[in-house]
Amino acid sequence: MKNQLKILFGLLILLSVNFLTGCYEHFPLDQDLTRTQNTFLNQDSVKVQFPKIIKDKITVLAMVYTHCPDICPMTTHNMFLVEEKLTDDLKNKVKFVVISFDPNRDSPAVLKKFAEIRDLSFKSWTLLSGDEQNTKEVMLKFGIKAIPADSSYDENGELSYNVIHTDRISLIDPEGRLKANYKGSTAKIETILEDIKYISEH
Amino acid sequence: MNLLLALLLIFSNPSDKIKIVDPWMRVGAQGQATGLFFKIENNSDKADTLYKVEFEPAGMVQIHETYDAGDDMMGMREVGQIVILAKSTFELKPGAHHVMLMKLKQDIKKGFVGNVTLHFKKAGKILIKAEAKEMMKKQSMEHKH
Repeated sequence: MKNQLKILFGLLILLSVNFLTGCYEHFPLDQDLTRTQNTFLNQDSVKVQFPKIIKDKITVLAMVYTHCPDICPMTTHNMFLVEEKLTDDLKNKVKFVVISFDPNRDSPAVLKKFAEIRDLSFKSWTLLSGDEQNTKEVMLKFGIKAIPADSSYDENGELSYNVIHTDRISLIDPEGRLKANYKGSTAKIETILEDIKYISEH
Repeated sequence: MNLLLALLLIFSNPSDKIKIVDPWMRVGAQGQATGLFFKIENNSDKADTLYKVEFEPAGMVQIHETYDAGDDMMGMREVGQIVILAKSTFELKPGAHHVMLMKLKQDIKKGFVGNVTLHFKKAGKILIKAEAKEMMKKQSMEHKH
């Protein structure tokens, strides 16, 4: 009888552990981003604190540079597609943030133009430009690498350069916890939408 | 006689051997960069080479390729030229080869139609018109699968 009770008790513990881990297995990450704040200027040159500005929102975030003709516009467009396909009940719960890892060229005004030409709404989108230190700290938080490469000079002697960079979209929950990363330029829109829905329901 | 002349014109026109299909450019803001994309159909028996592209509203134009740099990183590099093998099609598309339009002198907004000159070693100059879009619909649809 004692042995049967022990087996039953063991089974209950196993089931509990399985249930609890199952709850947290939906997302591969659970990184608290709120331990430190970083200062940035938004597209209107207003000083903001990140991640304070995304508090209580589900956030879809990417780090890009506006002189990128291919990957970064694809990533931004994928975020736009996510927004476009959000159900009405989620539209006010989700925020879209773009942070430049090339702040020397991406001033707030440049970021604003980048957004405007793509019809991004500043009601739901915020674009951030920071100094080198704050930019580097946020890149570290998100595991983003950006290496200037392939530079050339135009006929006026002005330097142009490309950046080899991490291609990523990140998903952050309303408590400021990084939950998932996706390949940015080839992200599966439906997967991100499903994950946003999951966060909103749990 | 007229028919003969017309036939001569058709067969002597080098652009018949090189056909540009579905040209489009991505929107871009003044001062920034964007990409130009199209398919090149080489219907001739010889390979041809795209070696130069001109687009007046851009301060600098280069032929580029986007490549996977490993570790979830993507890079971009100038390739100088693209060889299109005989009887084959080469596609310049997002995430791959593209024409990089840099230092834009004006906003390239949705619906803008730009005149672009493509220079081929054999076919010579080919003029095309490319409309500005954010992303080809086909690309967006592909994300669903």
